[in-house]
Amino acid sequence: MPFNSLQFPLFFIIVFFLYLALKHKWQNRLLLVASCVFYAAWDWRFLGLVFISITTDYLCSLKIHASDSEKIKKRFLILSILINLSILGFFKYFNFFSANFAHLINLFGFTVHPYVFKIILPIGISFYTFKTMSYTIDVYTGKTEPTSSYLDYALFVIFFPLLLAGPIMRAGDLLAQITSKRKLTLDKFYEGSYLIFWGLFQKVFVADNLARIADQVFNAPAPYNGAAVLLATYAFAFQIYCDFAGYSNMAMGIGKCLGFEITLNFNLPYFATNPQEFWQRWHISLSSWLRDYLYTPISFTLRRWGTWGIGCALMATFLLCGLWHGAGWTFILWGAYWGALIIIYSLLKPLLAKIPGPKNAFGQKLWLVVRVVFFFQLVCLGWLMFRAESMGQAFLMIKSILVCNMHMPGSIPGIAIKSLLLGLCFYILIEAYQYHKSDVMVIYKSHYLIKAVIYYIVFYLIILYGVLGAQEFIYIRF
Amino acid sequence: MEVRDKLNGIFHEVFKDDSIQIKPEMTANDVEGWDSFSHVTLIVAIETRFNIKFSLRETMSFKNVGDMMKCIERKITP
Repeated sequence: MPFNSLQFPLFFIIVFFLYLALKHKWQNRLLLVASCVFYAAWDWRFLGLVFISITTDYLCSLKIHASDSEKIKKRFLILSILINLSILGFFKYFNFFSANFAHLINLFGFTVHPYVFKIILPIGISFYTFKTMSYTIDVYTGKTEPTSSYLDYALFVIFFPLLLAGPIMRAGDLLAQITSKRKLTLDKFYEGSYLIFWGLFQKVFVADNLARIADQVFNAPAPYNGAAVLLATYAFAFQIYCDFAGYSNMAMGIGKCLGFEITLNFNLPYFATNPQEFWQRWHISLSSWLRDYLYTPISFTLRRWGTWGIGCALMATFLLCGLWHGAGWTFILWGAYWGALIIIYSLLKPLLAKIPGPKNAFGQKLWLVVRVVFFFQLVCLGWLMFRAESMGQAFLMIKSILVCNMHMPGSIPGIAIKSLLLGLCFYILIEAYQYHKSDVMVIYKSHYLIKAVIYYIVFYLIILYGVLGAQEFIYIRF
Repeated sequence: MEVRDKLNGIFHEVFKDDSIQIKPEMTANDVEGWDSFSHVTLIVAIETRFNIKFSLRETMSFKNVGDMMKCIERKITP
């Protein structure tokens, strides 16, 4: 039951009206039951797995909080992390590591067949596992007080708008909103509805249309044509962004309608001018999670190594960030690429700061556009590695761009390119306006005439050109 | 010298800005250049100047400069 399916509005309307009729405590119980139904609609068998994580972290955090002994605290923290990572490791990475291990042994002349299980990846596992782990770690460090209510904690983990693909909200933020009374206002409802509408547009119009172009090139066998690869990479860059940002906006909107404040997950990432800024704007809840629970401990442990320590911590964090996205070498390559970009940037930062920029306003704007466009090319090179079906395909595709074979093949019809440009122009214009005003909600806050025109265009594009077949969200697979 | 003054001096050196006036409620968002890279430099500088050693748990529990100051005071008090 994805947000863009026909069943979801029906499900949400029923939940919403029941929610309005109930008091705070029963609203929480209703949301818990609704979240279980929502997850069971995907696959009821994995609901038990979510509750193993919930129960583990609920009990471990209470034990950590109750104990005065550092040894016992640490023991329960390790137990919680071990259980969570074992579940994640088995369902997501077992086959990958098993196949690669067998391959490694075979390199030494032995013949070993990998143990491979028929494993279905439980949906949202990477998201809820990270959420539960951060809770226990925060209780251990004293950042969060554990809740004594099992049902409230269960709702924190399984809350349906955020269950499948985040944002990975922390207990200090989301659990606090669950345990205290929420205010439902008409303003919040309108704001939420706008976010759902805009997110739906990002998904069914921009992302799903661009997917057709990207899939056509990435799913084809070699040889590759440089122009087609470039076009497909740009298409994928906006596909993955609008797919995930669309999901996040819908999650934010649904949360707002229910009186929750959901954290912003994407803040116009393609306007970034350097890798550090990109990760402050892209998938913010994941990058801050990785910073707090992975980069900080590693860099702290290696702090006496100076620049080398920071470099190692950055590379390890981004390699694991790549692996988090999927069990495949292309994801690891993508992580290594971002690790390298960030390390190079952190080394060059003092030098870059000395480069004098233009003095006049027009020159400054032009310089910003040049930097944004240049950095976007580096982001797209990363997306090529990310989307490629294999390492071999990634290298062949990069090679096809480098040899400058820019003759557009007949297999990609002109109409596809035209629709890509037209659809993207409108979308990029809106984002440029949001960036200019430093406010992603600027359209919602505009004069009603501007709003009416934009809503009309968005509605028209969704109805006429939207892919209305409940296409799966990419990040749900991670 | 009080912990606060000494810590303020470390902030001036690490972030190369003599106008910084640290306050207990201050966070990384309030200081330009206080990012995850410079945070490591800051921690090492504090450990060296105060001749103390933080544990990982302590550094992960800092919510603001106030938490940091309290932790330093606890460590230097005999």
